[in-house]
Amino acid sequence: MNEIIGVILAAIICWLNFVIVDTYFGLPEQPGVKGARIIGESIKKRNGDIAGGFFQGNILCSPDASAGTLMASIGYLLLGIPGGIIAAFLVLIGNRLCADPGYAGTVGSLTATLLILIFSFIGLTPEMFIVGMVIAILTIQGIDQVRASIILGKIAEKFNRHAKE
Amino acid sequence: MFELVHFTVNSASLANVYGLANITIGYYDIILAYIVAIIVSIIIALILKVPLMPSDRYSFDVSAIYPTPIFAIGILSLFFVLNYTFAYNGLLLAVIIGVCSALFVKYLFYYIFPAPNDGEDINE
Repeated sequence: MNEIIGVILAAIICWLNFVIVDTYFGLPEQPGVKGARIIGESIKKRNGDIAGGFFQGNILCSPDASAGTLMASIGYLLLGIPGGIIAAFLVLIGNRLCADPGYAGTVGSLTATLLILIFSFIGLTPEMFIVGMVIAILTIQGIDQVRASIILGKIAEKFNRHAKE
Repeated sequence: MFELVHFTVNSASLANVYGLANITIGYYDIILAYIVAIIVSIIIALILKVPLMPSDRYSFDVSAIYPTPIFAIGILSLFFVLNYTFAYNGLLLAVIIGVCSALFVKYLFYYIFPAPNDGEDINE
């Protein structure tokens, strides 16, 4: 497959994977640590959405499904399917060290491994998923935090996971 | 020395690049070993009276579904990528790792990964 098309496709798949898994496991609902609350309130002060702010703070402060997807891609590139499972194991350890239960990160890296395996049959390689995941995180954290937080807040409302305050 | 490191890493990753973690046992053996590790770890954890499910999405309690099988398949994968499968096409290794991970979760988990204190609010 053409590399550019592959990277764009992989970015979309990674974005959907980590946003859905993170939202389902309740990242927008409450900040896990103090830093996530400060980021959320700072984004709300700039007319953003508090749930999206908590989401961004949480994925910044501990390895969640975003880091899980990236690590699963790297593990799959190096070692195949066992590499993706080792990535889930390492993300679990990292999560527990960051005072986070780690449900989102572990499930995210396992689903990412499964997705890379499925999409390898149509020609998407793990390298494309690594680049795609970096692009996907850039759209959440890098380009415009306020607009990204509003989109994340709308997704959180659909999953019934909006912040309770 | 660096050449040796490169050679080792390269050959290890080349042998495993298609997910064939071991050249002497096949796909079905690997899948079966993973399933056996998951089932054995859950059953041993239940025998040791670890609860089956976590209480909610934010609880730090260990349970039989999470994180016991994650430990089991993670460590089993480490053995597979190192091409070490022990006897019976990896099945014996899977059973041993399942038992060990259940024991680890029951007795050692909070010693190595302590949960945040219940008394103090983590947001304060």
